[in-house]
Amino acid sequence: MLIKQISIFIPNKKGSLSQLTDILIAHNIDIRAIAVFDTTEFGILRIVVDDPDRAVEILNKEGIVAKVSKVIAVEPEDKPGSLNQIFSVLRDSDINIEYIYSFIMRKKEMPYIVLKVDDQEKAVEELTAKGINVINKEEIYAK
Amino acid sequence: MIDNKIWSREETLVREEFETIQLERLKKTIERVFQNVPYYKEKLKEAGIEPGDIKSLGDLSAIPFTVKDDFRKNYPFGLFSSPKRDIVRFHASSGTTGKPTVVGYTRKDMATWSELIARIVTMAGVTDEDTAQISFGYGLFTGAFGLHQGLERIGAAVIPISSGNTEKQIMIMQDFGTTALISTPSYALHMAEVAAEMGIDPKRDLSLKWGLFGGEGSTESMRNEINERWGLFATENYGMSELIGPGVSGECPALKGMHISEDHFLPEIIDPKTGKVLGEGEVGELVITTITKEALPILRYRTKDITSLHYEKCECGRTTVRMSKIQGRSDDMLILGGVNVFPSQIEDVLLQIDGIGPHYQIKVFKKGYLDKIEVDVELVDANLLDSFALLESLNQKIKHQLRTVLGIEAKVNLVEPRSLARFEGKAKRVIDMREVK
Repeated sequence: MLIKQISIFIPNKKGSLSQLTDILIAHNIDIRAIAVFDTTEFGILRIVVDDPDRAVEILNKEGIVAKVSKVIAVEPEDKPGSLNQIFSVLRDSDINIEYIYSFIMRKKEMPYIVLKVDDQEKAVEELTAKGINVINKEEIYAK
Repeated sequence: MIDNKIWSREETLVREEFETIQLERLKKTIERVFQNVPYYKEKLKEAGIEPGDIKSLGDLSAIPFTVKDDFRKNYPFGLFSSPKRDIVRFHASSGTTGKPTVVGYTRKDMATWSELIARIVTMAGVTDEDTAQISFGYGLFTGAFGLHQGLERIGAAVIPISSGNTEKQIMIMQDFGTTALISTPSYALHMAEVAAEMGIDPKRDLSLKWGLFGGEGSTESMRNEINERWGLFATENYGMSELIGPGVSGECPALKGMHISEDHFLPEIIDPKTGKVLGEGEVGELVITTITKEALPILRYRTKDITSLHYEKCECGRTTVRMSKIQGRSDDMLILGGVNVFPSQIEDVLLQIDGIGPHYQIKVFKKGYLDKIEVDVELVDANLLDSFALLESLNQKIKHQLRTVLGIEAKVNLVEPRSLARFEGKAKRVIDMREVK
């Protein structure tokens, strides 16, 4: 149930994002989700794309430090307290969230939430058991 | 004539007297190392020199040079001329790579060192009436301990406060009535700024009269600024641990170069490219032979410092040769806040850390009056991208290694691979943006 995300090291300077997207466009890779986590000196860009393994290969070839890692994507219900429910499940299962970001798929009404936690397998189990919709990778990568 | 106390009669000998003493001591030194240091024996034999061959000071130029790398090759005690039981003190400075340059002193060497310092602090104006605050770091570096002994020798009251904790330095200065400040020139300027922030006007609130600066070079404009800010009289002194530490030479109030204690050190100026000895007043690399040291006599040590020698008698009454202000270095050594650092040492540290590439760029600049250093390294290990904590700990690890191995505080920037300049031939990895000396 885990989906592949790419983490990319980017310096904090003008044009470093467009440099990346230029490469991805040139190789026909579609970005599904994007998030930047930054400090004053550098950032880690995290993206979900339709073909992660090929994307990393291309980026590495271009001399960019990039790595595939696995994350969980969940779809919260469209009602108050649904995010709270997800976080409560994780807390009660003693699982720590390392980072989180959200993105929208056009044909869906609700955004997806991407979670990176310290025990991914267990998180998927617990979330599924509590009736939370964990998205499988086909759904994300499909065009 | 300038009114300036002279500590020792040996500072006013006539040239012939110096030459007689120097030749006699040079012969003894060569005999000593020939007998006691296999490395020197080998080196001298290779050059076709037996101790008896030295008949005049002119014969010195036939003796091979000693360079910093010879210390590395003989680490730790290979160049020592005395057995370990005769050694009473060790000091060390940074070597060109990994291991430090180790120096040792016998009891007689310690007495010599104190005598040399007594001379330079006296020529700087300090007397037994003075209270001297030593703001060099105490430890393996020779600076603090060297000045300490000599200042005690002349009867000054020594405050061994060491470096750092600047606000406390100012407080002690005020409360103890410090009259002489001993530090690097850049630290003196930094302290002046802190004093101003504390609302202290050195001229009104403090009693400073003398400033004795060393450990790094300085410009005339720095001297003027120090004099102006502190309301003291600044002089510069020179030395290096390989030769003895501070005390090789120092300025008198005439401020026309630093007097070398010629009865202990035999100076030459050479062309750094050809090794040829240059004449009086010509600018080149300073080469020094120690002629009274027991534990670690050094023949024709290439200091890499660029200067010139001047022999005419000084207004202060001393006849010892003067070396002009250091104009630069003939190698790539950096002096960062008084600490000597070679780019090769930084490289050494970086190469031992996983996750980063072999390329790097060092940037040195002034922040206020202090030297700041930034090191750019390329991140290559994508596994560290899982979390900031991993990148942060890599950053900390690099900083920590630079601090523990080299004693420097550097800011570390992780940059993307292939973003740093590649060099064909000689790499220019250091960008020094400090004031050009």
